[in-house]
Amino acid sequence: MIDSVIKYIKSLRFTLLIISLLGVMFLLGLWIPQERMVSPEMLAKWQLSSPQVVAALQWLGFLNIYTSPIMLGLWGFFFLNLSLVMWQRLPLLKKRIAISESRIADPATASGYSFRASFPLPADLDAATLVSRLRRNRYAVLGDGSGFFAVKNRLSPIAFALFHLSFFLVLVGGLTSVYTKFVGVLEVAEGETFQGEVERYVPTPSLAKVGPPPRVAFTVQSVVPQSVNGTATGLKVKLQDARGEQTADVNRPYHDDHTTFVVDNVGPAPLFVVTDPQGKELDGAFMKLHVMGGAADVFSLAGYHFRAHFYPDYALGKNGKPETRSREFKNPRFVIAVEHQGKPVTTGTLAAGDSLAFDNYKLVLRQMPLWVRFSVIKEQGLSIIYAGFAVASIAVIWRFLFYRRELMGVVREEEGERRLVVAGRSEFYKTLAEDEFRELIEKIINAGGRKEQ
Amino acid sequence: MSNLESIFFWISLVLYSLAAGGFLYSFVFKNPRFQSKMTLLIGVAFILHTVAIGARYAAQGHLPWSGDYESAMMGGWFIIAATLWVGWRNKSLQALAAATVPVVVIMMGYGVMRNPVLTPMSASLKNYWLYIHVYFAWLAFGAYTLAMAAGVLYLMKKKATQGGVANAAYEKYPSLDRLDELMFRYVVFGFITDTIMIGAGAIWAKDLWGSYWSWDPVETWSLVSWLIYGLTIHLRVTFGWRESRLAWLVIAALSSVIISFFGVTFVVSSSLHMFNVPVR
Repeated sequence: MIDSVIKYIKSLRFTLLIISLLGVMFLLGLWIPQERMVSPEMLAKWQLSSPQVVAALQWLGFLNIYTSPIMLGLWGFFFLNLSLVMWQRLPLLKKRIAISESRIADPATASGYSFRASFPLPADLDAATLVSRLRRNRYAVLGDGSGFFAVKNRLSPIAFALFHLSFFLVLVGGLTSVYTKFVGVLEVAEGETFQGEVERYVPTPSLAKVGPPPRVAFTVQSVVPQSVNGTATGLKVKLQDARGEQTADVNRPYHDDHTTFVVDNVGPAPLFVVTDPQGKELDGAFMKLHVMGGAADVFSLAGYHFRAHFYPDYALGKNGKPETRSREFKNPRFVIAVEHQGKPVTTGTLAAGDSLAFDNYKLVLRQMPLWVRFSVIKEQGLSIIYAGFAVASIAVIWRFLFYRRELMGVVREEEGERRLVVAGRSEFYKTLAEDEFRELIEKIINAGGRKEQ
Repeated sequence: MSNLESIFFWISLVLYSLAAGGFLYSFVFKNPRFQSKMTLLIGVAFILHTVAIGARYAAQGHLPWSGDYESAMMGGWFIIAATLWVGWRNKSLQALAAATVPVVVIMMGYGVMRNPVLTPMSASLKNYWLYIHVYFAWLAFGAYTLAMAAGVLYLMKKKATQGGVANAAYEKYPSLDRLDELMFRYVVFGFITDTIMIGAGAIWAKDLWGSYWSWDPVETWSLVSWLIYGLTIHLRVTFGWRESRLAWLVIAALSSVIISFFGVTFVVSSSLHMFNVPVR
């Protein structure tokens, strides 16, 4: 019983089964809402409407299907099967790529060859020349005119092993990346310095299982968003670190200590100050406000609450209401609603340098720098993963474009005529290879301008 | 769309539609000579299609790389280019257009309904890996579509052969053995380019999203279609699946690629792969 189970796990049928099951799991992950992709509110709603379904899916781990025990189990079986199949196949592979003179046989009777043909040879073409022309066409040839065996792309089966072994590279790299992965979100304003403090990441970052958080230090010097006709076309961030000035942008993250800082979002980080009627500052701070896209944000100073709406390109609409003409920071303004103990006090519009009077105080917008949000990911093992991709790509090209062809032949007298009798076979293709062999032999025979009669 | 682009796009779409109808006519009315005329028509339509792409490039300053309309436009271009190339090298394969052109007509018809507004190149697309990733994606799509076309021709010719009633329209085609091998050859080419596409996409994703693999719906679907074609190759090489079984498999497998390119973003609104969505 155990032997037959092991035999089945080593089989190619099991390979097909596992690949199919993995495909099914991937598809399920597209259909079943995943926790990391839906909001907690939506998940709660779903739980309320279908508690048993959600409970069952949670028990199976299908709400995080790509890291669920079943998925990890399938991956385990996949690599187990791959290892066992490779273990079985490697000795066969060694045998296939080896050639010896024992392969030379009579092409008229050798079995396993789909292509057989006989070509008349010109009188001045000797067997040695024939064989050397074969070699020039990248065939490795054993023997001579009295019997030869030729193979092209002899080592091609190695690519089969390389392609499948590349999966192990991706596995090792992937596991390394999973265990060393640190993920966090960081917001840094223009002029602000970040020294790698873990508490600066908001929300709490996901720490790596192995290794420290990113050890980086930089100052954001400038943040310049670019937008054309409503489409964000760039978000240039200039940083200063120990290496000097660095530039980051969307698609060009900042790198340091195996860490990638992906430029993610931008917003205003105004310096609001509350002063008394004499101009004495009572309270003030730089605020990283999340007000892009029409969202409102609230901050508190001197016991008052201020609800802020932001318009990067402020204008008054036809109905007299504030609106933004574009996403470009051409005329940035805040509309601030002041509240005290739950009661509205006043509302006003502020550009940099403006002030808003309320209850004997003034809210002054001193400066309006920007903040940039970075998605911070530290992980190791990427070079192993990329090596796996490269090996897989090279191996699949090698295997399928430079596949193995075999030819055996003999020069003999038939019906008073010197003829080259050949048998040939090719991996993967039968009829297409026959054309190729025919063309090759005719080319070899007719090389030097001799036409076939 | 710019005016020039609109004119050439619609003319090429009409000509492709006429060519698709012409191929259907040649089979139904057993008139194989009509097929070479349709191939010429496809060639003319292809030139106009190329002009439409050029007009779009001139109007927005970059090639059509993203969104359903641009995917349909460029994808259709690659499929027709592959069809014409294969037909030019081997006249007996011109009939592959009988299957590829209707696919292109449907794709382009769908694409034009999906917001062909001119958009500047968004920041997320400004990366050299874009060109590698998208180029190999189109090569893979083209190859898989040719495999599907070879499968369709195989089944049609086999049915005609078994039907006992001669149809001259099929005589120009390669033999069933060759069509069988061509299916596999196109699948292999598609698989190679698909592998490179996925690798290039992962490297680009690291720079753009911070992670080489996020189980994004489009990423996951492209992995599923890669697995399906990998399975196809396994079934052929190891289990000897060929002829009708292989033909049905390559025809069905193309649906996974179509879903990757168009279906996912139709259904899902939160894919990381949604670039250049214009603000109204």
